[in-house]
Amino acid sequence: MTFGTLFLLSLAKAFTVVVALSLNIAGLLTWVDRRQGAILQDRVGPERAVVWIPKRIAQGAVVGPAVLVAGGALALFFLSDAEGVTRTTRAVLFSHLAVFITWFTALVIAGRIKLRGVKNSFDRFIASVGDPRRIFYVGLMVHGAIFLSLGVLKGTPAGETLRDFLYGAGPFVFAFSALFGAGYAAQRFRHERAGFRLIGLLHPAADGLKTIFKEDFIPPGGDQFLHKLAPFVSFFPVLVLLGVVPFGDTLCFGSDEQGKIMLSKLLATVPRDGICPTSTLDAGSAVHAVRLQVLDFNVGILYFFAMAGTGVVGAALAGWASNNKYSLLGGLRAASQMISYEVTLGLTLVGSLMIYGTVRIDEMVRWQAENTWGIFVQPLAFFLFFAAAIAETKRIPFDIPEGESEIVAGYFTEYSGMKFAMFFFSEYVAVVTLAALTTAVFLGGWHLPFLERDGLHIMLGDKEIYAQPLSHGAIILIGVLAFVGKTVGLCILQLFIRWTLPRFRYDQLMKLGWRKILPASLVNVLATGLIILAIQSGGPAVQSLMAGAAQVTQWVIAVGGLVLTVWFVRFLLKPAEHRRVLASSSAQYAASMGGTRTARMGA
Amino acid sequence: MLINQPLGPKKVVGTPIPRPDRNASVQTYIPEIAKGLAMTMAHFFRNTKEMALGQRNDPTIESISDGINCVSYPEQRRPYAERFRGVHRLTHRADGSPRCVACLCCSTACPAQCIHIEPAEYPVGDSRRGYERFPARFVIDELRCVFCGFCVEACPCDAIRMDTGIHAAPYDSREQFIFEKDLLMSFKGRDGSQLSENPRHEPGDPTHPGVTREHGGH
Repeated sequence: MTFGTLFLLSLAKAFTVVVALSLNIAGLLTWVDRRQGAILQDRVGPERAVVWIPKRIAQGAVVGPAVLVAGGALALFFLSDAEGVTRTTRAVLFSHLAVFITWFTALVIAGRIKLRGVKNSFDRFIASVGDPRRIFYVGLMVHGAIFLSLGVLKGTPAGETLRDFLYGAGPFVFAFSALFGAGYAAQRFRHERAGFRLIGLLHPAADGLKTIFKEDFIPPGGDQFLHKLAPFVSFFPVLVLLGVVPFGDTLCFGSDEQGKIMLSKLLATVPRDGICPTSTLDAGSAVHAVRLQVLDFNVGILYFFAMAGTGVVGAALAGWASNNKYSLLGGLRAASQMISYEVTLGLTLVGSLMIYGTVRIDEMVRWQAENTWGIFVQPLAFFLFFAAAIAETKRIPFDIPEGESEIVAGYFTEYSGMKFAMFFFSEYVAVVTLAALTTAVFLGGWHLPFLERDGLHIMLGDKEIYAQPLSHGAIILIGVLAFVGKTVGLCILQLFIRWTLPRFRYDQLMKLGWRKILPASLVNVLATGLIILAIQSGGPAVQSLMAGAAQVTQWVIAVGGLVLTVWFVRFLLKPAEHRRVLASSSAQYAASMGGTRTARMGA
Repeated sequence: MLINQPLGPKKVVGTPIPRPDRNASVQTYIPEIAKGLAMTMAHFFRNTKEMALGQRNDPTIESISDGINCVSYPEQRRPYAERFRGVHRLTHRADGSPRCVACLCCSTACPAQCIHIEPAEYPVGDSRRGYERFPARFVIDELRCVFCGFCVEACPCDAIRMDTGIHAAPYDSREQFIFEKDLLMSFKGRDGSQLSENPRHEPGDPTHPGVTREHGGH
């Protein structure tokens, strides 16, 4: 691999991590955070930012992508023949996609009917179903039927027929549903201009733009240079932290005649064992592994802690340079808190390091994929680490450095405009970063239960009860999506904690850090060491027991995840029951006037 | 209010809430966090879902139900009562001139002293000259106004009303709150009318009740 290619690859990976992962998720999180605050405090929340788009352009924006996606699916069907594994993969992928997009579109339309009433015959048909949960259940049943029948009839002539039928029908149904949904959405535009609000996601973007143009106040008595430097010092470490966290499994590329990497030659399939198939044949068949992490360090997690440790400098500088006693207090508190919890943050992971036997995060994830997720072998450490991580991001219940009720805004009291936004944003990026690390160390990173390097293998004991070979690219993509999904889930959990708990007092915070979590993590290290020794000296019986337990955890994750998802969707689709209670005269008057008038802004 | 209740403060009857036990579940904090999170999440997801699916309850008439129970102003508005006192308007006569005769009753009655009127005489030859004046300027400072409605009560001609249903909008600067005559006359009532309930009976009309200028020479 030449230096140029390597540089370009690293740049692409860095861009993916910094922009696509951390910045976007952080922007999303600001929205989720405000939305949560609004909803828990009974407001609509940030939905004011809007871009008005002429009707025709809006319709084009809705229909265009759908046409592209549908056309792509059909082109894939007509222009490229697939055999064997690829054919199966495509059949499964497109049939499930088609079913999913069909029921999802029907559900969205059902929701729209609730909002705007029945407008045409198709609405009448959807409304005649009644409870929208029925649509979801039918969709689930079709998913299950495809999954089971393909599994049961595998290898039989009937199975082949079914597979070929799905291979043919899937893309067409998918294209039809996508186009139908887009067309339906497009014909619902009734006004000459459509408000593009993106469920309020434009709000963080608008705020970002606003802060750039806002006045940048520097306290005249403060240290001008350090005051300007501090936001950058606090923003830099959280961005480079993600460099060592692998966001996906290793990609395997083929090579050209000289043995150099060919980025257009992604391997179709890879074997189950090892990372990439190594071949000692001619140069043309050499395989190049591309790790999906920005920095290929052999110190892995140590780099993470080194960088996280510099995060405290920005806060302390900001507190010092502002020439403001509140800022100084905030800076001091931030420094003491972050240094205290840094210790715990490192020590909680020692047990994991002992079990995984490595500091490289991608190898940790690989260990978890082979055995079981870290949360099952280190449950206590997971809680301790998560608590320390929240303390490290300086957010509720550990937001002593900001403490609005005591010290205005802590170390960024004297910051305004974009510099304040950088502090604000670095906090959110830190949330994303620590969630990503937690995912990689405790939640199996990109690994999903039963998903191996060459496809889906559902095991029961030593028996394989269902196998579905998938292509290399599909597995990697699923892995990346799984990683992002787990990360976002942990981030949202942190936000929920932020909106649930009260702030600790300063002495409680220090007591918790030094007297509770730190000893607990030391105990965790000791217990982990003892258990590892016990298992190593246990012989084959214990080893097989552990393997069985690992498989049980995989089943628990898989079944639990499915059940939770179904339960959650069922909860989301539950019809609301409202009781009309005209208790007051104003309520009676409002009822006689037809209730509260709802008017969208600007429409 | 009970008749036979003794005067003085009512005796407060309260149930003392016991302090939570310092048992393991409370002291480890994690089960309690889980309970709190469950409550927060239940509220959050239910409210979000009801917003997204258009199942929000009406905050004024279903306010006892679960879910979001507030009027999300300005996306939602309460129906205002018939007698809601909004921004003022000046009523019109049939010919479009203001009904106001610049008697200064309203500015006198105004406790906030936010009405400023500069009365003026009609020009010579106008049939109304000598009977009444008209406001050359009629200014209301809506920032000072306390929306008490005394001006409406005081007006003998039904010339000023507060039935527009508009509240004083938030503006950027103080000048924008100073409503001049033309602006006040451009507002409509909630029923869309701009005419006064006190129509003008010009001298010479059969409906004109009083003494005319011709009686004066006798």
